[in-house]
Amino acid sequence: MSSAVEPSPLGQDLLRVTDVSAIPAEPPPELFYHHRAGMLASAKRLWAHREIIFTLAERDFRAQYKQATLGILWALLSPVLTLVIMIAVFSRAKSFGTEGIPFALFSFVGILCWSFFASALGTGGNSLLSNKALLAKTQFPRECFPLETMGVTAINTVLSWIPLVILFVIFGRAPAVATLWAPLFMVLEVAFAAGVTMAVAGLIIQMRDLVQVLPVIISLGLFVNPVIWPLSKLSEPSVPKFVLPLYCFVNPLGPVIDNVRRTMLLGFEPNWYLVGIATLGALFYLVVGYRLFKRLEVSFADIA
Amino acid sequence: MPTLPNGSIQVEQVWKRFRADLTAPLFYDQLKRLRHSIGPGRRNYRWVLKDINLEVEPGASVALIGINGSGKTTLLKVISQVTYQTAGYCNVRGRIGALLSITSGLHPDLTGRENVFLYGTVLGMSRQAIRKKFDEIVEFADLETAINRQVKFYSVGMQMRLGFSVAAFLEPDVLLVDEVLAVGDANFQQKCLQRIGEIVRQGTTLLYVSHDLASVEASCDRAVWLADAVIQAQGPTKDVVRMYRTAVEHNAMLVTANDGELRVLKAEVKATDGGQIRSDCDVEVILTVNARESLDGNFFIGVSQGTAFPMFVVYQHGTLPEGDFEIRCVLNHIPLPKGRYSIWAAMVGSKNSPYMPWNPVISFEAFGPDQFRPPEGVMILTPIYVKADWQVN
Repeated sequence: MSSAVEPSPLGQDLLRVTDVSAIPAEPPPELFYHHRAGMLASAKRLWAHREIIFTLAERDFRAQYKQATLGILWALLSPVLTLVIMIAVFSRAKSFGTEGIPFALFSFVGILCWSFFASALGTGGNSLLSNKALLAKTQFPRECFPLETMGVTAINTVLSWIPLVILFVIFGRAPAVATLWAPLFMVLEVAFAAGVTMAVAGLIIQMRDLVQVLPVIISLGLFVNPVIWPLSKLSEPSVPKFVLPLYCFVNPLGPVIDNVRRTMLLGFEPNWYLVGIATLGALFYLVVGYRLFKRLEVSFADIA
Repeated sequence: MPTLPNGSIQVEQVWKRFRADLTAPLFYDQLKRLRHSIGPGRRNYRWVLKDINLEVEPGASVALIGINGSGKTTLLKVISQVTYQTAGYCNVRGRIGALLSITSGLHPDLTGRENVFLYGTVLGMSRQAIRKKFDEIVEFADLETAINRQVKFYSVGMQMRLGFSVAAFLEPDVLLVDEVLAVGDANFQQKCLQRIGEIVRQGTTLLYVSHDLASVEASCDRAVWLADAVIQAQGPTKDVVRMYRTAVEHNAMLVTANDGELRVLKAEVKATDGGQIRSDCDVEVILTVNARESLDGNFFIGVSQGTAFPMFVVYQHGTLPEGDFEIRCVLNHIPLPKGRYSIWAAMVGSKNSPYMPWNPVISFEAFGPDQFRPPEGVMILTPIYVKADWQVN
């Protein structure tokens, strides 16, 4: 490989004046730029820029609680408050059956799983818009923005698992040994959330109407997911056989919530059949979401 | 494609367009647009860069000049891969440091210290490199104890100092600077220019966008003049800047209003001794003007380097008669070094009512000694010729 370059034949000390009339109105068609960003190359580039994700996440996490008197304590307090409200509201509502688990514990585990996805999508979907200033001035991979907000959400979520300990104490229970499977489900959830968030973040730039629609969809998700109802509802005889696997593929979060409950609260082995389908679903969302994002990124800086 | 050495920029036949119909916030507009897109006629595009060819060798410093909206920033963004070209090839070797906005990476709620890390990483530094340079950065920014304060409590000047200082220690192979020094006090500007000069001397390639032609001439050896999405000319800074100035002046003369109370019919400028206009000689400006009515006010004559901002102005209060007549003004010992200049004139009434707007009326060439170059990193704002007598005792 030679590192030398031939001196420019035109020379640099010459004044070159362009003949403006010789420039056509449009470039020849073969000159048009096609954005090619392969998954592997993009992922490599993203890995090289991982520090930016951490730094941006740190920025948002620090900024989140700056100037609040209780500061970082809020990361613990807000899920507790949510829990109190949930218990107050739903314990009076008609119970869908909780498979023998106290309702508070049953629903709180569901809420924790769901709220990670919901706030990852809510903040991540808008992350390109809220980072407009950086988007138009910097060159690092664009997926850093949605992933960074997911990082912040992840930290907040981990902190909000702590109140769960209180609930275990109140009900005199202990998490089962099978809880050790939980990290696997979290990986599935992160993959699913990352795929959906990237797709939404990319699309929202093109269609601002989504900004208005997104919160509505997210709030619907609370009921679509088995947060206050058990997934076993879908395997009842009155429901057609194909519904459960289809549901698990389209919404991998459903089996994730169900299996976290199974392992942590009931001490059963994971339902591998459903976990398998959920894995396929999550991978599908991740690949499609990332590809879509990379395809759309050409115009981000121009129209954000 | 041959392998390029680190720090080189190669832009080949780059085109860039924007959609012309980007904002349609109301439903009604959307409907209208829908009707358009169904009907004949293609989507509306606006080309902001056309057939851009540019080659920069490692270590060169190149200025991009041109009026607002000529495509300078877009070109920088394409080169730094912030945005993508619509057509063509763009190849940059080495680490790019793009200083497109000096404070947009800062987060107001974080402290100065946190922002140094944030902004540094965003610009492409590793955290380790920032930790190593941290003290230098703070010292350069001159912030001292304020570094632990939230940035929203900084003055704008302090924010800019912080932003620039982080960027100043980036050590990229290619540095792109976009007009970031336009604000800020003279001290700070000087410091920035010096630092940029230092970076260039260390072998970094510089691409510099500025409207400040004086700083362009001081810090770049090549210039590229963009206008109407096209590179009009590129080459040695002096030649390109002169072309640019002439064009700006020409445009200004085209817009000269003809409906004022006072109009310039003819303008002439010459040396009083009848020869060439030379530095330090006496110059006579003769304007044939027409007044619709008798006017009372101040008549101004100024000399500029093509832009609307004159290097100096002279004026005379008086009452002008109605009709056609001549105004003669002798400028004694014009302090102009060699170069091309234009004469601007205006007349303003006693109640500040403009009888004639500030317009260029004629340009001329001054001959004489070349201007002396200042020490590197120091820029001359307005070139003035001053005869000097030296003595060393």
